[in-house]
Amino acid sequence: MDDEHTAGYREPCAQCAAVDWGVSDEGRFYCRSCHNVIERTREVVDPNFTPGSTRISTISRGSRTKRPERGRQWMICEGFQFILRNQADALLRLGVSPNFKDDVLCQLWRLYLQKSRQAFTHNPVTSSKFKVRGLDSDSDSAAESSVVSASETNPSSAAGSNAESSSEWSLCSGSVDAAGYLSARLRRTRGLMSMTKTLALIHLALIWSAEALTLSDLLRLVNEGHVPYVNAYEDLPDEMKLEGKDALIFRVEDVPSHQRVHKEAETLLLFLQLPAFPPISRQSLLHPSLLSLRYLMDANLPDELHLWVCRLVERTSMADETLHVSDRLLRPVLPRYDVQTAALIIVTMKLLFGLDDHTEWDLSNQTGDQDDTGELFNLRRWYRLLQAALIRAQQRRVHDIARKQWKAKKPLYGNKSEKCTMIKKKRIAEQVQVCFERLSSCPAGVDRVDPSSFRFCWGNEDGADGPSLHQKKLDGVMTLKLGVLTPLNSAYWHPALKACKPRSCSSHYSEVEPTLPRTFVWLLQLFGFLLDVKPAYLYEEVLKVERRAIDGKTHQRKKRRTRPKTQAKARARTQRGRENKRETFN
Amino acid sequence: MRPFEKKAAISAESLWLIMDDLEKELGPLDDLEDDNDSSDDHSSIGTKKSKLPLVNPICEETLKETGFHQSMRACLEQIRDAMLHHRWQEAAEYMPCYSQMLEDTSHSTAQQSKELFWRISTEILHHHPNSRLEDYNNIYERMKHSGVKHYLMICLEHSFYLMLNGHIEDAKHQLSVAESWRHGKESAAQYQRTKLIQAYRSLLDYIIWCDKKFTHSKTDYHDAGDNQDMHSYFRQASVNLKEILKNPGVWDPFILSYVEMLEFYEDHDEALKVLNDYAYDNTFPPNPNAHVYLYQYLKRHNTTDKKLMKALKVLHVLVPSHELMLEYSSLLLQSEKKSDLQKALGVILEMLDFACWRGNVDVWKRLKAIIQKLQLQEDWKDVVSEKMAARKDWWPALHFTRFHASQDSEENPELKEVKASLTKILCPDLTLKYSAGQKTIVD
Repeated sequence: MDDEHTAGYREPCAQCAAVDWGVSDEGRFYCRSCHNVIERTREVVDPNFTPGSTRISTISRGSRTKRPERGRQWMICEGFQFILRNQADALLRLGVSPNFKDDVLCQLWRLYLQKSRQAFTHNPVTSSKFKVRGLDSDSDSAAESSVVSASETNPSSAAGSNAESSSEWSLCSGSVDAAGYLSARLRRTRGLMSMTKTLALIHLALIWSAEALTLSDLLRLVNEGHVPYVNAYEDLPDEMKLEGKDALIFRVEDVPSHQRVHKEAETLLLFLQLPAFPPISRQSLLHPSLLSLRYLMDANLPDELHLWVCRLVERTSMADETLHVSDRLLRPVLPRYDVQTAALIIVTMKLLFGLDDHTEWDLSNQTGDQDDTGELFNLRRWYRLLQAALIRAQQRRVHDIARKQWKAKKPLYGNKSEKCTMIKKKRIAEQVQVCFERLSSCPAGVDRVDPSSFRFCWGNEDGADGPSLHQKKLDGVMTLKLGVLTPLNSAYWHPALKACKPRSCSSHYSEVEPTLPRTFVWLLQLFGFLLDVKPAYLYEEVLKVERRAIDGKTHQRKKRRTRPKTQAKARARTQRGRENKRETFN
Repeated sequence: MRPFEKKAAISAESLWLIMDDLEKELGPLDDLEDDNDSSDDHSSIGTKKSKLPLVNPICEETLKETGFHQSMRACLEQIRDAMLHHRWQEAAEYMPCYSQMLEDTSHSTAQQSKELFWRISTEILHHHPNSRLEDYNNIYERMKHSGVKHYLMICLEHSFYLMLNGHIEDAKHQLSVAESWRHGKESAAQYQRTKLIQAYRSLLDYIIWCDKKFTHSKTDYHDAGDNQDMHSYFRQASVNLKEILKNPGVWDPFILSYVEMLEFYEDHDEALKVLNDYAYDNTFPPNPNAHVYLYQYLKRHNTTDKKLMKALKVLHVLVPSHELMLEYSSLLLQSEKKSDLQKALGVILEMLDFACWRGNVDVWKRLKAIIQKLQLQEDWKDVVSEKMAARKDWWPALHFTRFHASQDSEENPELKEVKASLTKILCPDLTLKYSAGQKTIVD
């Protein structure tokens, strides 16, 4: 056997079952007894390059694998620290105040490390004994043994108690505690970091610093590539080598949904046991009063609607600044500002226009008949504009999704055998890509657009989605009653309620949807598109807002759907707060 | 027709066949909602399945689909839409993005996605205006090495493409490389494809041999080296062809080329043996062409009428409407035996059972000649009525209507005359509207 070429390859030949391999001139492996050529080729050994290191760690035996480049030992939380830093820097570049990163995010991160006992503690979760390599031990086995020796209950005051890296250069690659990180016990305590958690942590920090970036904005920035997430590990410093199990932690092929990040954030909130959040003032852009202005603009709704939205905010007592305090005793509730505001707008429109597939079109017809000057807001015209723009925007989104680049330039391999196949696949994919790029003269990937808070652009400029309706008056749907401006529509519908198990059921939207008015469903889809959430999610929030508006009490988490099929009719309230509500039960 | 002129590349129809096959393999997928989050749209009753039969789309969402797979599915839908509407530039623009699919780590659909990718890219290359030979070569080479299961298929398709575009040498090189490919169990399992590859390589040898022969005959100066070359190609080709032709199958182009080469080298025994085996071996599927080739060969080499008739006998059973039946009937007419004459009548009548021969003067003339010869016998009426018994119901409608009369008298008066003379003989007890001298439809 050509030991120096085929060392380590011990598979029996497929045809003759002998283990007698040689290497042909082209570098292919062949069986010496039956001359069966297989696909395996001898890998080229690169000459080793060690920058400025005078320490000799091992003398390798000339194995056929490529000698791993020198890296230092590092822990998983270090990796996440770098990634978080890069994400925060990206946000700072987009205009978030530096206070967010320095004062808030850093503190939160340190608190997290302390709580999860990965750092700043006398009792670390994993301890890794940084062994000095023996002269003739294989680098791979050394790395494995150091991981194996990591025990969760063995405190080592020296090794794990600082998050600083050890600057010992050695022949190890991959993080030290990856295997420990993925162990079942640690995963069960839900303390450990994951890529999704980085977004959750940033979301918490953004809320704390009262930045105007909502969760849907953050996820949009991630999807468009302005904030690193997919393949974020590529930006880690070179001396931190990623291999093996690190792939399971750092490799993601999915941007989490709004719901998932929100849940992670709530879990994190509970875990970190934070003190009370600073209150969201009315002047803050996260407060529903101001956030709704932004969404109204994006949806091309008239500015006059804002007044009614604010009234609803008052009614549902969501203007209360102390609402956003998290309660440490009970399970904390993190408000979803974006979804709540969208729900408020939808309920306002329901109050004013009815949205039962009849009232709004009747009102629209009336407006059309009355209006000679074109000053009045006409729902039908608005719907047509929005529908056309929505269809175009949805097609663009599908186009962008189809063209999105997920695979990294420097792929991450799970294990050695996977590495060979993945390198080969990558080579093939790249060559094919080059061929088609030349053929179509269109490079892969999506055109980078500048980030914007708005999905649509309304006005008369080139490239606008349509004419602006912001200045239109709502006189068509209003009337003067006893000197007070009241909506013409006096009916309000509510979907049928029925008993369900609060724990196992989450959303009944898919059952209820066929019975809902089409305009309402379309409105859910519109705002679902604006925020990039599912209509079902928005629907649940709309129900919550309605319940608060009808009950007038603080919202409680426990769902009580005990009323049989009802239809509540409520009159819209006036400015003076007269409660003219009348509920009739059919 | 030269073998390589037949379109051997995979056409658009086969693309849809591939789509169907993939659907069958993927299995019918229920219409489930995209359920990335576990607590999402999950009602306690459960999702209701539609009672109507649903089309199984090829690009269907699955549970727990990652963003990457969602992107790839969207990309595939866009490509498919563009291809169905013949927007080839747009399809080509999506392909660099879809090439990420080749890096996918999930193993369940790896083979299918590679095959899909290969077929889509070749289809786009066929139709895109800017595609060049290098692109084809590039894509074929890459896709070949992306997996072992389809290595041979892609080699074959690659060489077909080169063949169709006149690069015979390159095509042959491809097939030679494919022939020598070994991969343990995999190459053993695909031995049928290997046989096909060997057959086509021999065919390419034959084509090169033809070229050499052509140039050889053009020039007066006979170069010994060229001759040697030509003979070596013949040897290479014949070895394989002989092997291939032992396997049951339809080998029309291969056998023709083999026979042509054998004829050139005047190995008539071998040629005859090969043709006979091809025509009469029961393990081979019934193939009318085999008998046609045998007949043509025999005719070229001055065989007796008896042997020729024997050659056409089976063909008559297989394809009664074949054009060679005319020759068969003339052979039978010329023979001395009485039974042959009756047979001839049967052959011609069976020919005329088919509408394609309805307007052919020669066939009707032959029928007339047969009838005339038959009338020399005494019992000719019985013979005729016996043969016409089964046909009396529908032949008048097929040949002798008033419409036919007017049409024939306008287009082909000679035909009309011949047919008219036969009406009384063939159908004596029927009054037909078909008679000579009738020019107008209206009485």
